[in-house]
Amino acid sequence: MTAVRTPPPRLPVRDKAAAKECGWGGVSPMLTRLAAERATGVLVREYGTLHLAEGQVVHAESPCAPSLDLLLAVRGTPDAGTGGTEGETSGRHRAASRPAEGAPVTPGALELCRLVALYDAAYFALGPSSTPGRFRYDDAEVPGAMRPVPVADLERETLRRRDLLHRIWPDQRTDGAPLVRPDALAAPSLTARRRAVLNRVDGVRTAADIARELGRPAFHTLVDVRRLVAAGLVSPRPQAPPPEPAPRAAGPADRDRDPDITLLKRLRDALEAL
Amino acid sequence: MPGIDECLLEAMRLPGARGAALVDWTSGLALGTVGESPGGDHETAAAEAAELARLAAEQHAFASDSDPQETEADPPIEDLILSNRDSYHVLRFVPTSFDSSVFLHLWLARAEGNLALARIRLGEMAGRLVLG
Repeated sequence: MTAVRTPPPRLPVRDKAAAKECGWGGVSPMLTRLAAERATGVLVREYGTLHLAEGQVVHAESPCAPSLDLLLAVRGTPDAGTGGTEGETSGRHRAASRPAEGAPVTPGALELCRLVALYDAAYFALGPSSTPGRFRYDDAEVPGAMRPVPVADLERETLRRRDLLHRIWPDQRTDGAPLVRPDALAAPSLTARRRAVLNRVDGVRTAADIARELGRPAFHTLVDVRRLVAAGLVSPRPQAPPPEPAPRAAGPADRDRDPDITLLKRLRDALEAL
Repeated sequence: MPGIDECLLEAMRLPGARGAALVDWTSGLALGTVGESPGGDHETAAAEAAELARLAAEQHAFASDSDPQETEADPPIEDLILSNRDSYHVLRFVPTSFDSSVFLHLWLARAEGNLALARIRLGEMAGRLVLG
């Protein structure tokens, strides 16, 4: 009997260089394609929405990130309806059409805040998701849009931000979990910004809640939270809080959870990078 | 002053100006850039300048004595000046009425630049950008 010995097929390995060219290397292949075809419309992803005009991002929103109105409003300076920027009177950008309540926000400050808010919301909108995104072609102009941001810039910045967080403290549970202070040690001297975050850690609030209360971009809050975690002052609340009747003996609670798809993807990327 | 780009273009009119940028020091994002970039890449330069600005802003040693800790200005410093053999870098923190962490970064050629003038003008521009 002659055994035909065929070598096993080569394991499929993604070619990173080729992948980048056909749009599979970025944070969202769909977004890359939409940018290439200069699409106009709304991309809805699991954690946020991106508004595109001719393939460039003009507006982003995410439930994880405070809106522009909130960022402008918290310190008592809602936009005074400067009227200097065209097309801002639609309801979609309420900050720009709200009546004056305090000192007017200059066009420069508004542009600054809007860009910060766009990158902030886009960071979450482009985060790893478990459901596919949907795109709706829509020619309606986004009111108040200024300074469109190229998709490539946004994707690069999003990846850089992920990397920045990872370098501060490589545990992404801190981003979404309620935060606790492990013990009420007197905090060492902290900056005013970080102290404001620490003072709001109460075992219930997440980083996103704290960002909303402070009127501060959510990503900036994640940075401060990770620095506080790295300093041992804050930790994410354990996923399974000790149950009252305590039926189960102490055991590794996390072991029987399904591995998440994001983790598998990161493992694959790490293995391929070897 | 209408916006970020106009502010940066005004900074570029200073004698010896080689490049200017408005940078967020928490994230390292360049919100606007004009002219040349130190090191050849605006994004890398912004991220590196942001790291320096953040470190300076977070040290109590550099805060003003007259700020009691509770009402400390945010950030507690006004500007950072750095020099090398052929250029100056001036990083001017921009105070805003809302919560933000941005600074103006001006890169000046040392032969033509006037550090004192640049520092004063940057302060005025930072004020006009956000306060009108």
